[in-house]
Amino acid sequence: MTVTVSVPAPLRTCCGGAAELSVSAATVRDVLDQLERSYPSLYRSVCDETGAVRRHVNLFVNTAHVRDREGLETGLEPGDIVTILPAVSGG
Amino acid sequence: MPERIILCIGTRKGLFVAESSASRRRFTLRGPFGPGVSVYSVLIDTRDTPRLYASSCNAFFGMKVLRSTDLGKSFGETQSAPVFPKDDGRALANIWSLEAGDGTEDLWCGVEPASLFRSQDGGDSWEMVSGISNHPHARQWQPGAGGLCLHTIVRDGDRVHLGISTGGHYLSEDGGRSFSASNQGVGAGFVPDPYPEFGQCVHKIARARNAPGRLYIQNHGGWDDRPGIGVLRSDDHGHTWRSIAEGLPSDFGFPIVVHPHNADMVYVMPLEPMTRTCPGGAPAVWRSEDGGGSWQPLTRGLPEKDSYFTVQRDAMTIDELASPALYFGTTTGQLWIGRDSGQQWSRLFTSLPPIHCVKVAVV
Repeated sequence: MTVTVSVPAPLRTCCGGAAELSVSAATVRDVLDQLERSYPSLYRSVCDETGAVRRHVNLFVNTAHVRDREGLETGLEPGDIVTILPAVSGG
Repeated sequence: MPERIILCIGTRKGLFVAESSASRRRFTLRGPFGPGVSVYSVLIDTRDTPRLYASSCNAFFGMKVLRSTDLGKSFGETQSAPVFPKDDGRALANIWSLEAGDGTEDLWCGVEPASLFRSQDGGDSWEMVSGISNHPHARQWQPGAGGLCLHTIVRDGDRVHLGISTGGHYLSEDGGRSFSASNQGVGAGFVPDPYPEFGQCVHKIARARNAPGRLYIQNHGGWDDRPGIGVLRSDDHGHTWRSIAEGLPSDFGFPIVVHPHNADMVYVMPLEPMTRTCPGGAPAVWRSEDGGGSWQPLTRGLPEKDSYFTVQRDAMTIDELASPALYFGTTTGQLWIGRDSGQQWSRLFTSLPPIHCVKVAVV
């Protein structure tokens, strides 16, 4: 099924300037696998080399944070929007 | 083109580049580059057409290496930053050191968690150096307050000295293929054994280029019951070390710097060990002119009171002019210059972000 990945402004240079990407995926993990294959620089900005989502990056499915669903195993429906956002943190 | 002084200042909010004529009377500032992102290490690479490299330690999206080919007027990212092999289990947390290797494209990079990487194409691709990164001790090293970092790379022909906090001093004598802990005389105040084989919290290592085998260490001192372990000297390529801390107001500190033309002239910035700030609120760089046999404070122009800053491990350096100047940056964002080998201090910049590292070169 096709879902949309919303890319935050600081990471758009990793995917040719695109703000949104169309991806065929059944789970959030599938989305990340697709990104790793098609946009490795974008993937590396979201996940570290162990495959873990970086501490200060949040992933949402529509309006729900994946940690409040089933994490990376959260299932997707056609037309869902997976949003990548930097966390509100820093100093 | 007349000689220029290029000063790179890595801060918590990006990299600044200051430039001056060789007179060092006035520096102009540009930046921040990699804005908003901490820069812990810088290399001014003068082996060929000068290039500047800086780590950009992005807490959100991971590590980058920045590169400039126009003396810091603009920066771009290299094609990749160091990355652990996928099955290694470790993830890059920070980039703490960048050093030039052989040839014109060879770079070395020390990271957190403590490991070493090497690039042979000017930073576009990196390979982990297994001899230290997978050393049998590696999984026993513990993080210090700054993290488990490989912060110092000192090259001397086929010898490579590494400083790891907390791992200690490691030495390779085969060009970096294999490493051994070399900490005889390097103390630790935070473990039962005062002189362990490894695990010391070495803060910085400096080599005297014109005295073969001479090195200095600023170690984690400040221990009442283990005095003098903070400032050390070696005359045998780092195989053995001895204390040279006698006469200092504190043997705790982070940077240690050697005069470029005089191996006996060495500089430290003693800090009060509990607060890690200037003792009594009165900052002073201390200089030895006899290889650590005695020490004198260099305070002319520095505040006499009410100054409680820290100078981090890579935030003090010295240029290579005939009469060199020292430079140090503070966690309060001040950049100081000590002209005439540190005899006279003045502030170049007063209100930068907290400073992590300062590097200088004559180009």
